Amino acid sequence: MLELRDVKVSYGAVEAVRGVSITARAGTTTAILGANGAGKSSLLRVISGIAPLRGGTIILNAQDVSKIPAERRAKLGLAHAMEGRRLFRQLTVEENLRLAWSFGARKTDLADAIADIYQRFPILREKAKVQAGYLSGGQQQMVILSCATIRDPSYLLLDEPSLGLAPIIVTQIYEFITGYARRSGATVIIAEQMASLALKVSDQGYVLRRGRIVLEGESRKLLADGVANALSASYL
Amino acid sequence: MTRFRNALTALVTNPYLLAAIVVALALGADWMSAGTVHILSFVMISIIFALSINLLTGLAGQISLGHAGLFGMGAYVTGILAKTYGISVVVSVPVGMFAAGLVGYLLSFPAGRVRDVYLAMMTLGFGMIFFEIVREWNDVTGGMMGLSGVPSPTLRTLKPFGVRINEVWFFRAILLVTVLTIWIMRNVTQSRTGRAFFAIHHSEVAAGSLGISRTGTKRLAYVLSGLLAGLAGALYAHLVGYLGPDSFSLNRSIEVLVIAIVGGLGSIAGQVISATIFTFLPETLQVFSEYQFIVYGVILTFSLIVLPRGIAGLLLAPPRFIQPRALREMRKEPRKAEIGEAAKTQPAEAGGVLTVKKLTKNFGGLTALDNVSLELKPGRITALVGPNGSGKSTLVNVISGLYQPSDGRVEFKGQDITGLPDHRIAQAGVVRTFQDPRLVPNFTVRENLLLGAHRLMTHSGFGSALALPRAIHEEAEFLTRIDKVMDLTELTPTADQTIESLPYGYRRLAEVARALVAQPSAILLDEPAAGLSEVEMEHLARIIRRMKDMGLTIMLIDHHMDFLAELVDDVVVLDSGRVIYRGTIEGMRSDRTVISAYLGEEEAVNA
Amino acid sequence: MNIFLSLVLAGVSVGSVYALVALGLNVTFWTTKTLNFGHGSLMMFCAMLLVFFASQGLAMAGAAILSLLIVAVLGMFIERFTVRPALKGNNSMGWVVSTLGFGIVLQGVAAKLFGSQAVAFPSLIFGSDDFITVFGLYVSLQYLLVLGLSIFLVVVLECFLRFTRWGQAVRAVSHDPELGRVNGMPVNAIVIGSFILSALLAGAAGLLVSQIGGTVDPAFGFNLVLFGFVAAVVGGMGSSIGALIGGIALGVLSKLIGGYISSAAEQPVAFAILMLMLALRPNGLFAQAEATKA
Repeated sequence: MLELRDVKVSYGAVEAVRGVSITARAGTTTAILGANGAGKSSLLRVISGIAPLRGGTIILNAQDVSKIPAERRAKLGLAHAMEGRRLFRQLTVEENLRLAWSFGARKTDLADAIADIYQRFPILREKAKVQAGYLSGGQQQMVILSCATIRDPSYLLLDEPSLGLAPIIVTQIYEFITGYARRSGATVIIAEQMASLALKVSDQGYVLRRGRIVLEGESRKLLADGVANALSASYL
Repeated sequence: MTRFRNALTALVTNPYLLAAIVVALALGADWMSAGTVHILSFVMISIIFALSINLLTGLAGQISLGHAGLFGMGAYVTGILAKTYGISVVVSVPVGMFAAGLVGYLLSFPAGRVRDVYLAMMTLGFGMIFFEIVREWNDVTGGMMGLSGVPSPTLRTLKPFGVRINEVWFFRAILLVTVLTIWIMRNVTQSRTGRAFFAIHHSEVAAGSLGISRTGTKRLAYVLSGLLAGLAGALYAHLVGYLGPDSFSLNRSIEVLVIAIVGGLGSIAGQVISATIFTFLPETLQVFSEYQFIVYGVILTFSLIVLPRGIAGLLLAPPRFIQPRALREMRKEPRKAEIGEAAKTQPAEAGGVLTVKKLTKNFGGLTALDNVSLELKPGRITALVGPNGSGKSTLVNVISGLYQPSDGRVEFKGQDITGLPDHRIAQAGVVRTFQDPRLVPNFTVRENLLLGAHRLMTHSGFGSALALPRAIHEEAEFLTRIDKVMDLTELTPTADQTIESLPYGYRRLAEVARALVAQPSAILLDEPAAGLSEVEMEHLARIIRRMKDMGLTIMLIDHHMDFLAELVDDVVVLDSGRVIYRGTIEGMRSDRTVISAYLGEEEAVNA
Repeated sequence: MNIFLSLVLAGVSVGSVYALVALGLNVTFWTTKTLNFGHGSLMMFCAMLLVFFASQGLAMAGAAILSLLIVAVLGMFIERFTVRPALKGNNSMGWVVSTLGFGIVLQGVAAKLFGSQAVAFPSLIFGSDDFITVFGLYVSLQYLLVLGLSIFLVVVLECFLRFTRWGQAVRAVSHDPELGRVNGMPVNAIVIGSFILSALLAGAAGLLVSQIGGTVDPAFGFNLVLFGFVAAVVGGMGSSIGALIGGIALGVLSKLIGGYISSAAEQPVAFAILMLMLALRPNGLFAQAEATKA
């Protein structure tokens, strides 16, 4: 289980997250929604340890990890696919995967893990020896997700996986995500601007606005209440 | 603490106090020991040399580890002219100074293209080459043995115009020169030249977007710095009467760097204080001179980390960049403008039509913009909208000249501006703002806005360096204009606070205001409302409406639909680099393609 | 022809020294994109420490190990107190000036502790008279040792970077340390490790080069850092093979020009080459094309 208690994040004078509390039970998928600048990315970053925690606590598996550095949290089973489609552009697809695997939990054999990825994303097998920086946006996102999941994480943080991608690729990506969540029982947190997309695949949702939670509840209910449309309308 | 700093600064820059000190030194020289006069002469030279680093590194941000080369250039040229060719000191010093300025100019070609560690190495190399040349060129420089016999007051051989000068009078001459130099440096700092230096130091991209040429500005900085260092060297040559290569080695470059850093890069007062301390210290503290090298090393190792702004940062108020006389002149004008009046009295150049034709931009294998065409008309606000990664920022970057397009054209007022560098596009009247405000953090709002007027001012750097009336008058005019822009954008209360001390919302507003000072015909606003509160958004909307009333051509990128809905005339929607919709906002909300792009395919089926 | 060959050979010899220095400089560049301006002082300090320990009765091997250890500690100090804090500020000048300052402090301390005169440095491996003949010309074995070590290092380092997971981690860290941390890489430890390795390489270079010259004094090393830097730039910052080729090219060029024109031109030539390189091909000869979208 992942728990955030009154978490605060600020960068210098800018308060990005102003006291957010979230509970994500083991094996569930949680959607974090909101417009640009609402604080979604900062929230994910403070969970993985990249952003400094100004206040509050973060609890992972009943352990307070607030003071544990990011590298150690990663070893505890946390994987974070960061915003901005970040991967090691100078390394090839295969090197990226191998690197992610070698510093992860290593529960599966490397060759098996890679074969599995190529089966789900066949295009990556073709591009295995290509430097990641030369792939298209969608392919890069596939690599990023594969790198995150190849580590067999128990907690998967995804920052706007659909960002700037064509709808058909988005469908592929989301199939992969839901598939992985089902197989592994990992706890997944997805930050998205595409409200309906995230709500459809999650159990619960939180809407952020200027660093605070303004709405929360079961995803089904949020969808039914037209939150998705309202959100899209207000920022679309 | 601030009050202490302000008081101390007022004291240190009080013209009457300074005049009194200078006069006291000049007159008192007759009663000082020869040793003291000698040291004081060195202090003056050291000040001028430190000012050369202050300008190049402190203001313009170009590190130099080889400044002894410029100093030595001035020294040797002067020394050789005076000794070997018998040229009078009155001529040899200026020639030496200009020789160093010329070398600075030449150095700016390779050095201006690199930065950081490469620049450090290059300047280091330059210093060492100079040292080698001086050491080997026996015939001209005397090689290792050095050049002796340069006319000097110490040896009673200095005779300008046939009159023998003693040390005291030479000191007075140097004192005068130093005072003049300090005065000119202060004028330069507080002029558009100084602001331009500081701007390319802190944000080269923003400087370019304001019409400030990076290469040209750097070149100027190198020349001025060379002139100063050369002047110091030339005076040094005549003071000491003997030139040996060891005086122009790396140690000298290190020493002046230490002085400049400890004094506080960017602060003239700091340099004066530091130069005085470091010239006296080896003389008075025996211990210091033994451990001098180690002390310098320790200072260099920790000072930029521990005390990045030096003594000046600790004790004095930060230096300002506006000529006080211009401010006074401006304030004498009766304040006529009301907000509405400002809109009318500010004759905006008629906004023109901005056309984008089939613009394509590829990055390696990625197509960021695919055949994008659109037209922006004057007096209309067009919104550019789309999911993240759809190419909006890339489009603005290509139009404003930060990126070169792979294909297609951009035209403004009938003129082809495709692919021009960013500062030229700004000069053509198309101005943009940045998502993360590229303001100079240590400039006040007013100074940042004055920077926005850079391309419009016509007075010469020379004029502002000497504080000539025409230059002061033009600055005052622009300050008046800026006052009106601040009225328009409701920033007047914060005019003299530094940007870094203001809340985030103000930076965005200042960024827009700065773009306005340039009196653009077209303005591209890149997410100006990001991070603003509702109140601040209303403030911004008011400003944008006023700009529309003035007839500007406006493009606005943003995500906040309620903000845009009331403001905008047309909307263009991008997705994956292509235009998928053109029309009104209401039309966009019900357009199938747009909905599916934002919401995903399934929604489109249900919608 | 003989003169030409002997100049080339001399160039290869000194060039291998430049290469060794460049290799050491590269290591910190991999992880932090910084260069230690005090690298030359570390070289000198290691050599002077060895002389000191030897004079206290320690066996050569012991003295060498102890000196290298001390220098490794200095490397950690440099990372922790001069580079890391400087990198936090957004001033890129910070670490240049502070590593330079540290080098000066070391130089001053060495002068205070060991005197500023040159001291004799013993031959550790091979004597100064040991040579082999190549095409009828004498080649010093001591220089050959440096060349051999450089080549060996290039092979080892390249293999390390390309084929081991820690090597890949090193490459990753310089490009995107946050991404590395999120993937579980101990970024801090990697950075510290790189500074230790760089310091050890500096120390080793100091020992091997001092034995060639036969003496060492506090000012030794500074010039070499500049040549090493030029070699690294010519070869491409961060490229091991580039450091080797760059160093040798630089050595040969400067010796040829020094031989045919004037020996005083050797140093200026290096800087002329630097300026040319930065103007024409700033990424060096073996630059890797950057696969960025911008």
